[in-house]
Amino acid sequence: MGLEARATLRRPFAIGRRGFVVLAIVLCAVAALVVLDAPFRALLPQRGGFAIVRAFFAAMFHPAIGYETAVPAGTPPLFAEALAAARRTVVFAAAAMSLAIVAGLVLGFFASTAWWRDPAVGGAGARRRGRRALAGTVWAATRVLIVGMRSVHELLWAVIFLAAFGLNTASAVLAIAIPYAGTLAKVFSEMIDEAPRDSAIAMQAAGAGAAQAFCFGLLPRALPDMCAYSFYRFECAVRSSAVLGFFGFPTLGYSISAAFENLHYSEVWTYLDVLAVLVVAIEIWSGSLRRRFVA
Amino acid sequence: MSCAEPDGRPTPVFELDGTSVLYDGHAALADAHLRVERGEAVALVGPSGAGKTTLLRLLCAAVTPTSGRVLVAGQDLEALSQGKLQGLRARIGFVHQDLALVPNLRVSQNVIAGSLGSLGFLRSVRAMLLPSSRELDRASGILERVGIGEKLFQRTDSLSGGQRQRVAIARALYQEPWAILADEPVSSVDPARARDTVALLRELCAERGLTLIVSLHDLQLAREILPRLVGLRGGRIVFDRSTQAVSEQDFRELYRLEGRGPDGA
Repeated sequence: MGLEARATLRRPFAIGRRGFVVLAIVLCAVAALVVLDAPFRALLPQRGGFAIVRAFFAAMFHPAIGYETAVPAGTPPLFAEALAAARRTVVFAAAAMSLAIVAGLVLGFFASTAWWRDPAVGGAGARRRGRRALAGTVWAATRVLIVGMRSVHELLWAVIFLAAFGLNTASAVLAIAIPYAGTLAKVFSEMIDEAPRDSAIAMQAAGAGAAQAFCFGLLPRALPDMCAYSFYRFECAVRSSAVLGFFGFPTLGYSISAAFENLHYSEVWTYLDVLAVLVVAIEIWSGSLRRRFVA
Repeated sequence: MSCAEPDGRPTPVFELDGTSVLYDGHAALADAHLRVERGEAVALVGPSGAGKTTLLRLLCAAVTPTSGRVLVAGQDLEALSQGKLQGLRARIGFVHQDLALVPNLRVSQNVIAGSLGSLGFLRSVRAMLLPSSRELDRASGILERVGIGEKLFQRTDSLSGGQRQRVAIARALYQEPWAILADEPVSSVDPARARDTVALLRELCAERGLTLIVSLHDLQLAREILPRLVGLRGGRIVFDRSTQAVSEQDFRELYRLEGRGPDGA
């Protein structure tokens, strides 16, 4: 009996389907490097470049305390300037995230299937079918919108808004808020769909409307995860906001690029250190909040 | 059979009239006839998969019958508008097998969620987030009655299984229902607690004049506490009598193992 059973089980091929996928990925990577003409060679610094690299990394161990060259009278000290830039970085990120969370919640609701696909409570009829068809259309349209928002990176949004509106605060905030809202909406919708539905269904069975069941039966169960993810995205937004400085917005990136252009590497390291401390501080803060929420 | 015509009898609160429910061609409930009068206390008994849950879900319009009718308070559910149906559901308390509470809300919020069906959206947001002292008093009174008054402001997931069960019962009572349907309300607690819980349900319904229908796989418990038993097996109602009138033979028939061959219909 055991032997017969074993005879019908064919031994799998040495490289399974998964093995082929991994192999294909590796081949693609090699092909990409070949097509790009071995770009690693370019990483070896040229004669002049080597000096710059050495100077830059040498400065790592003594970040500037004051400005490296004379500055006009009335310029705040370097450290105050770095802190102010860090504060603006956080403010940009916070403004963008508050927009993104509101938009992400609304879009995430419409992009989830929980509010319409699963008829929690029985009932049939043409009107119900009509409503479901409409709901399905709204869902699909929202999904497409979210993909559009996410597929353009915040730096590209920044380029677009700079061209359209010029260098103003709203451009930077929107540039971060739009792709972040798309990402939040996508992840929120998945969290909502994965949340257990029993309480929402029970509420509907007790006469509650779909909106009530969603808000009080489903949302509370997804909320801890949604909060944790929002904190993580805030961290990302701070980095994005710093990088947007390279376009001229007054965040840490702006200070970094200005110092870099002046070859003030010690100042660059001061700003980089402030950014690193900022990110770590937010990580610690959001980590503690996350633990409290998700526990 | 129990499908007698109404003649002179009061309108039953729940009535199944030749009701069948098919899931993918398989009959979860077949040609069921059942009348439950106001204030009655009925146990649905039978092996798992017999159709007890389907029957209960029919009565609160969570399942639509494939054929036949479901009448609640004399009204055919099929003929009711969505709004009327919601109004009806709001007055039927349902205690779910898995309780279906929201674990990370306070006990008070879970209880007050019982009123969602009778409040508009904005008023329900207010009731859930900023309950008035009147609402809290009522929730607290009900919790007091089911024996966990001191848990009012605790997080629901900090409670024990038995306590959570009482929260689910309190939520159903907060609906101000005229009937309580309970689906295996004791599947997750030990036997001693199970007895207390079913007895409590019976007591609560008796003192408020509510109709009670409870499905139980524990036959002993059903016989001990409920005066009328409806036996289901394979989607059919096998017997429907007062508890004293149900014979040992009926029970054996009900729980007879499959595969022993059909012995009579």
